[in-house]
Amino acid sequence: MRHDTTSRRRVGPAALLTAIATAAFALMLVFAGAAPANAAGSPTPSPSSSAAQSIQIWIRKAADRSNVPGVKVTVSQGSFSQTVTSGDDGKALVPVPTPGTYKVELDASTVPEGAGTVPTGLNPRQVVVSEGNQGVPAYYILVAQGGASPTPGATGGASSGASDGASGGGSGASLFELVLPRIVTGLIFGLLLALASIGVSLIYGTTGLNNFAHGELVTFGALMGYVFSAVLGLPGFVAIIAATVLGGVFGYVQDLGLWRPLRRRGVALVPLMIVSIGLSLALRYLFQFIFGADQLVLPADNRAALVLGPIRLRSTDIISAVICIVLLLLVAFVLLRTRIGKATRAVSDNRSLAAASGIDVERVIRTVWVGAGALAGLAGVLIGYYQSLRWDTGASILLLIFAAVTLGGFGTAFGALVGSLVIGVITDVSTVFIPNNLKYVAALVVLIAILLVRPQGILGRRSRIG
Amino acid sequence: MDFSFLLLALGQIISPQTIAYALAALGLAVQFGFTGLLNFGQAGFMAIGGYAFAITTLRLGFPFWLAVLSTLVATTVMALILGIPTLRLRADYLAIVTIAAAEIIRYVVKTPDLIPITGGSDGLNGAAVTFDALNPIPPGSYGFGPLRYDENDLWIILVGWVFVIVVALLVRQLMRSPWGRVIKGIREDEDAVRSLGKNVFSYKMQSLILGGALGGLAAIINIIPTSLQPDNYGTQTTFFLLTIILLGGATTVFGPLVGAIVFWIVLSLADGFLSLAVQYHWLPITTIQQGPVRFIIVGVALMLIVIFRPSGLIGKKREAFFA
Repeated sequence: MRHDTTSRRRVGPAALLTAIATAAFALMLVFAGAAPANAAGSPTPSPSSSAAQSIQIWIRKAADRSNVPGVKVTVSQGSFSQTVTSGDDGKALVPVPTPGTYKVELDASTVPEGAGTVPTGLNPRQVVVSEGNQGVPAYYILVAQGGASPTPGATGGASSGASDGASGGGSGASLFELVLPRIVTGLIFGLLLALASIGVSLIYGTTGLNNFAHGELVTFGALMGYVFSAVLGLPGFVAIIAATVLGGVFGYVQDLGLWRPLRRRGVALVPLMIVSIGLSLALRYLFQFIFGADQLVLPADNRAALVLGPIRLRSTDIISAVICIVLLLLVAFVLLRTRIGKATRAVSDNRSLAAASGIDVERVIRTVWVGAGALAGLAGVLIGYYQSLRWDTGASILLLIFAAVTLGGFGTAFGALVGSLVIGVITDVSTVFIPNNLKYVAALVVLIAILLVRPQGILGRRSRIG
Repeated sequence: MDFSFLLLALGQIISPQTIAYALAALGLAVQFGFTGLLNFGQAGFMAIGGYAFAITTLRLGFPFWLAVLSTLVATTVMALILGIPTLRLRADYLAIVTIAAAEIIRYVVKTPDLIPITGGSDGLNGAAVTFDALNPIPPGSYGFGPLRYDENDLWIILVGWVFVIVVALLVRQLMRSPWGRVIKGIREDEDAVRSLGKNVFSYKMQSLILGGALGGLAAIINIIPTSLQPDNYGTQTTFFLLTIILLGGATTVFGPLVGAIVFWIVLSLADGFLSLAVQYHWLPITTIQQGPVRFIIVGVALMLIVIFRPSGLIGKKREAFFA
């Protein structure tokens, strides 16, 4: 940092938060016209539903997660019995009069030819509905007969033919057609990860803390998005902005109430890391305590909005990607061009030197916490749109975030971006070759492999690895 | 009003779960408390050890001692794989790699394709056959009140506690030996030990292997009275163990034992009181909401211990390496 920077405009935490929120807001205005269906055409629990409880049925194919319409499902309990047919989105909402345990049975004879079968043991099933629970999930994943998981390469015949509805059965998709869409979705997921990873990287850079509670900042944003969109019924862009702003506030409160006092006490880094583990455990289960253990769904239009050959993207995917790119550019601008950004990099580089040259280190750290919280909150709500959300959404991607940050190089914001994209693509593309439930494993194996050959990461410097 | 949970909480003092957590925590204390290694994947060592024991017993028909040996081999191999790339790097790299490795193991054993070997999400049942076959206790029901144990429960409790105490005494002697002094030296100042001509990497590796092996053996004690469930070895298990050693005193040998007993009694009491509170509507929460409360308690307790009493219940203030 040079002395002349003192004459520059001071950008504080509040200003940074405003900037992020304004950017998100402006973007949403642009897209508000493009995606009104997001809030309106929602098949998910709506507050206007007459019954106090409801069960959300959603039938999809395991192969490509496409929705299966026209399947009859019966929900019954005692004298109550109702049969519904899944809509074009594969979903059906069944309002139920009283809390209790309901039997949900799928009529296998109504499943379309070739869509697959329900795994044994899951049909019929018991669904527990508590007082006031809307949209309790009863999701069915239909597995193609003859092979549960797509097998790698080889012929691509039977299994991949079923997995790609667009190309029609039998013809067999090429490896390229299987990989390409996953590269695209992987890049989008990588961008979402990057929003969260940059915060981890900046917090590490400025304070030395490996924040194991960062996943809870992400979950917090996702849950705030859920509260504003699904519970309060506000439009999607309001939910996204609210999640971002509240995420920033949460980051600020955490720093003010916990991390700053601990820094003042001079608590060393290892105990700080363990405190963050305790915080993560407490917050995660507090979320479960409040929101329950079930999957929550943000109201969104899940039809493909853009089809380019084998690539099918929903409008939420496209909007999320654009928001991420704009915000990442904004972060880059802030880091490279503004006073606070330069101060942040100076503190990351050498804290004592930065303090000695007149930088208010505490204010930089505060700003970083606010920015990291806001970005994580935004990442959370967008991940909620990208997949679904739950009380442990953030915790389940925490290791991917760490993998991304390690891969890119600890403490370098741009390394976190590169690492996130790589991890996102690896995660999604690996599902072509290995079973779906192992996709996070691929990313974690890459993490360990990277540490073997280049522990400082792609953009990191050797001096940091100690 | 049913207060039998008070006795059941007392039963936690000797329950196999407490023994298993005490032993795994002792392993973690060797690594973390004595050597300063941030092993955040002790649950992974437990899972590897448990699966090695259960798979060799159930699928390959190994006798008990051979199955225990394969547990030791498996945890040693895992320690080598994780340690070689990371023990030369700064401490938190080991933390991230071990926690990642533990999750990799949990995901892999749950893969449906591996059900013939690992049992998938359902885990493995019945690995106790070879151990119960050695049981000399005549069949019957022992104990009093709500604390009843059959001959096999009693057998694992007896063997488990004797084993844990013997191991704890061995670790205590080990830590007083020249080897132990080097280990503690590494925790205090790695460079100083290196300047004395010691091979720090090798000592750290030995500590990682020893702690991991204790984790694997703990898993055997854990699965014998029940069954092997992959989700019992998630990250929260490691964090429970971390809470246990910090509660008891991370730099002591008997701290993990005391910590494990106190930890499970407190959790058991909390569960019992909450059940009553829910049953009689003292608190506005439902039965479903009762589940997460114990984790919230552990999380908050972990933070408070680290901040306000880093030396734990029986630890010495001057030895707590992050006091």
